[in-house]
Amino acid sequence: MTDISKDILQKIKKDKVRPYSKQRFVLRRSVIWTVFGLSILFGSIASAVAIFQLRSAEWDLYKNLSHSFIKFVLLVIPFFWLIFLLGFTGFAFYYFRRTEHGYRHAAIWVILSSIVLSIIGGGLLYSTSLPERLERVFQENVSFYRKLQERKQRVWISPEQGLLAGTITRIISEKNIEIKDLQNNIWVIDISDTVWRGRLEPAEGLKIKIVGKMKEKNQFVANGIRPWKGRRYQHGNRHLSHKNKR
Amino acid sequence: MNKYENIPDEQLVQLSLKDQDCFYYLMKRYETKILRYINRLTNVSHEEAEDILQEIFIKAYQNLNGFNQKLKFSSWIYRIAHNEIINQYRKNKLRLAVIPLNIEDKANLIDSISDKTETNGEYESLENAEKIREALAMLPDKYREILVLRYLEDKSYNEISDILRKPPGTVATQINRAKASFKKIVRRYKL
Repeated sequence: MTDISKDILQKIKKDKVRPYSKQRFVLRRSVIWTVFGLSILFGSIASAVAIFQLRSAEWDLYKNLSHSFIKFVLLVIPFFWLIFLLGFTGFAFYYFRRTEHGYRHAAIWVILSSIVLSIIGGGLLYSTSLPERLERVFQENVSFYRKLQERKQRVWISPEQGLLAGTITRIISEKNIEIKDLQNNIWVIDISDTVWRGRLEPAEGLKIKIVGKMKEKNQFVANGIRPWKGRRYQHGNRHLSHKNKR
Repeated sequence: MNKYENIPDEQLVQLSLKDQDCFYYLMKRYETKILRYINRLTNVSHEEAEDILQEIFIKAYQNLNGFNQKLKFSSWIYRIAHNEIINQYRKNKLRLAVIPLNIEDKANLIDSISDKTETNGEYESLENAEKIREALAMLPDKYREILVLRYLEDKSYNEISDILRKPPGTVATQINRAKASFKKIVRRYKL
């Protein structure tokens, strides 16, 4: 009777089969963990921008719109970034499963943990300027994304419903400013009885959102003015206080 | 008796990395088990089974440095065997349909799968190994392999989890489903 193990050993010797080096396995494990880590990092970035968009959404204004609350929620949910988050979670799951003991954990546990890790990471990144910058980069360079955001921003071209947004083009007086809205129409805004939110000061070049009432064609009375988005957008060229000093 | 007889597998792996000849003793320990496992999952000829066995041992030797000492060597080698059988199945379209079973296999399987509390004697009708083979052959591949590992190879849930790279919970669920499916087939075809 043949000794199959002996034959196999002979073949191993004859073919000069050698064990792969230890480094090869270490490298493989490192690559898997690195890709897993990167997936969580990118997931965190996606969730940071999603958090940023959710926090920037004017939840108090949905009553100004003719939408139902559900419609409003669907409008402000950052689907684009949530799809990214889910995609990177998929990557994280795939690579975690390929770690040495990753297969021992239930799929649902791995997926939920990856999402939670990404959200925690996103929460940390939210406190940096990264989400705002990233969103701006996407708006400037990705036409699909820009169109998607413009759709959301369309609510700010509803003066009849008390919502208007634009860039301050001129500070007429302490009571009036002039803005160019998102469709390049010029408006005179009455700011005599306005609450400026977010430590804003009127300044030329400043992009703002206005909640108020349309008085007549191209004239709007502002009840509240808030920054267009986030902290980075709050820069203008000339503050009202500066003008008054002159 | 050889001098390596009482050395644990994991230590023999380390020795094999230094001395190729030690790998012979490791192979010798698993030769029969793995060959039987191949035979239980495929319907290849004896020569073909030996070719698959050779591939498995060569792959095991090449990957010795990747063996994780936290794992049982037997689980590791069975995992390589499982992967190789799948590879061969894809490459050569092996038929994983008819499983040759010996009398002992038959007894083990009936004993394990039939619920001890069942007294209707439905498994008494499984008179010969041929019928068990037929019932197993009708099972989906994933169920067949899991039943073979659990009841014929006598592996624990954790070992099966390590071999198939599935969570132990999934293994338990699949074993239950496989058993239910096996019972259904037995009833349906009156085996």
